[in-house]
Amino acid sequence: MNKTVTINISGIIFHIEEDAFDKLSKYLGTIKGYFSKTDGGSEIMSDIEARIAEMLQGKTSAIKQVVLMADVDSVIETMGKPEEFAEGAGETSSNNEEEEYTTTTEGVKKRLFRDPDHKAVGGVCSGIAAYFDIDMIWVRLAMFLLVFFGGLSLWVYIILWIVIPEAKTTADKLAMKGEKIDINNISKTVKEEAQQFKKRAEKFGSELRDQHGNVPKNFFEKVADFIKDFLILFTKFFARIIGLILLIFGVMFMLGLISSVFGFSIVGANTELNDWINLFFMERSHYTLGLIGICLFFGIPFIMMIYGGVKLLFKIHYSNRWLNISAGIFWLIGLITVLFVGISTGQDFNEVGKVKEPVQLNITRDTLHLSLADSKELYEHLNVKEEDLEDYDSHGNHRTRRGGHSDDYIVAKANDKKFIIGFAKLNILPASGDRFEMYVIKKARGTDKRAAVERAKNIDYKLNATDSTIKFNEIFTVTANEKFRMQEIDVILKVPRGKVVFLDKSLVNIIYDIENTTNTYDADMVDRRWIMGQNGLECIDCEGLDFDEEEFYKQQHLNPPPPPGTPAEPGAINVHAEDAKVNIDKNGIHVKSKDADVNIGENGIHIDTKGEKGNKGEKGEK
Amino acid sequence: MSVNSENTKAQMRKGVLELCILSILSQGDAYPTEIIDKLKETKLVVVEGTLYPLLTRLKNTGLLAYRWEESTSGPPRKYYKLTEIGEQYLKEIQQSWFELTDIVNKTIAPKNS
Repeated sequence: MNKTVTINISGIIFHIEEDAFDKLSKYLGTIKGYFSKTDGGSEIMSDIEARIAEMLQGKTSAIKQVVLMADVDSVIETMGKPEEFAEGAGETSSNNEEEEYTTTTEGVKKRLFRDPDHKAVGGVCSGIAAYFDIDMIWVRLAMFLLVFFGGLSLWVYIILWIVIPEAKTTADKLAMKGEKIDINNISKTVKEEAQQFKKRAEKFGSELRDQHGNVPKNFFEKVADFIKDFLILFTKFFARIIGLILLIFGVMFMLGLISSVFGFSIVGANTELNDWINLFFMERSHYTLGLIGICLFFGIPFIMMIYGGVKLLFKIHYSNRWLNISAGIFWLIGLITVLFVGISTGQDFNEVGKVKEPVQLNITRDTLHLSLADSKELYEHLNVKEEDLEDYDSHGNHRTRRGGHSDDYIVAKANDKKFIIGFAKLNILPASGDRFEMYVIKKARGTDKRAAVERAKNIDYKLNATDSTIKFNEIFTVTANEKFRMQEIDVILKVPRGKVVFLDKSLVNIIYDIENTTNTYDADMVDRRWIMGQNGLECIDCEGLDFDEEEFYKQQHLNPPPPPGTPAEPGAINVHAEDAKVNIDKNGIHVKSKDADVNIGENGIHIDTKGEKGNKGEKGEK
Repeated sequence: MSVNSENTKAQMRKGVLELCILSILSQGDAYPTEIIDKLKETKLVVVEGTLYPLLTRLKNTGLLAYRWEESTSGPPRKYYKLTEIGEQYLKEIQQSWFELTDIVNKTIAPKNS
């Protein structure tokens, strides 16, 4: 059973099967496109229609009333295909070929094709030129400039080549030149579509009224149809916008990916990155594999974004199955490669191994002087320059010593061998006995504990201890050819109760979060003597050191003064000079200046002078 | 090779199509289907679509005229006939056709002439 449509050709009524009707009306539409601008085009059209009516009449009878697909096919065969028409028209009219295309394209919906007749490479540019109705030389020039100077690579052209179908038949070529796309045309299309939708909606409404309450299943079907229609209309409007967005983002992402991969593979080969690649990956090939994997894993979706974008934007309906399948396969290969490299590399970071090496100490004095060793010779030996040991701080403002950042490493080269250089950390803890003790804790990562420990043993760290001094090194080195596996050195010095350590200024970069009773920051701990007391390290000569403001107020049961700028509480007076603050409120009088702090309150009078060491007062300013 | 010869044959047929249509009409008025039937006997027309633009062009240049006739079995028929100019024109091109075929025949098969 097939649905039929009733049509009128040249005043004769035919019943025609729906699919046959589609084909016939499409056929007539194409022919109309050819002749619409030639002289007497409508006359030719009506002659042709009359002939078709006649032929179809011969194919129907009282018994066979319906025009079938086969009938339409045979009519089309007799009458000739559109391309044969074009040839005929070309021969009989004196127009040259070029003119003929442009004069017969009205009424044909414009579509994007590759132009095989004017192609230089793939016909992409000439097709785009035809679509936008501009001279193809400009499109080619733009494409050329973009490919060779604008960073747009050949792949964009190749994608367009794949996505855009070639104009094979004359009908395609006509559609390629088709109706101009301008505001009038677009608004016309939109109106037509909206009209159609309105009709469907009205039909739906009336059908709904007729069948309301009778056939509930049908009702839902109608709702489904309605929603479907609405969605189709909606997508038609927004498909192009979405297509454009997809295209733009796809190209942007792809450019990003290409430039970073290009950067890593070409530029990186001559820099320190090259060393890191060797130090980080199990094998050099893993890095290359990883890059390829990343290219595929990220690149394929980006390419498909562009592909889909172009398809939506230019309403290309044909779908390249082979392309989709191979894209999927390549993406999977990319995924597997990335996983393989990721897992095989990551596995070597699996376990942390620690070696605790005690350092023999023979300390006879009560005060231990701690400082950095003079590393000039070592640095010279490793070809490390002083500026290599510096880096921009986390804000990117000024350069600071790298030391103290346990996650910072550099690569050095000595005797044609590459070394990893890391930065050691020093911590000071109370000793349980009455002797100084010291340990060097070496850490590294590996596939398992044993491998990690073996690797940790390959870390080389030197320090010098005499009866009253210990000279630390800022850096440690990892044996040549050893992989980078987050090697770390922690030096732990245990100080017995009652003994004193002096932290030399040079230690500022290697001490790390040393606990003390006054919660003094590491940077403020240097250049001072510290005694191991009941509760930890206590500062001996910290009188000049800025106190921990918060702690102080807590101890004194006072409210901290409001930060500058906040309105004072009623009855309070706040004076902020350039380097002094005066604060008078219910808690008393506080004067804070560069050189001294004075607090007068219910707890009495406190005067703290900072003396010459006032320049250390960074923390107090906060 | 065969493709080329097909192409040439098609070109030749097209070249003489105008002459043949005018000649058929000189033997009496006809509507397109009749013209097509006659042309098909001579294998001059492969697809019918070619005919209609040609007829319209001949009509527009004043060589042909047409009248409508009701048909009992289908849509009204467009009967074409030669105008006076058309007859004049036909005589001229018939004349040149004969001259041409004469020369061409002599050229391609000199012994037979």
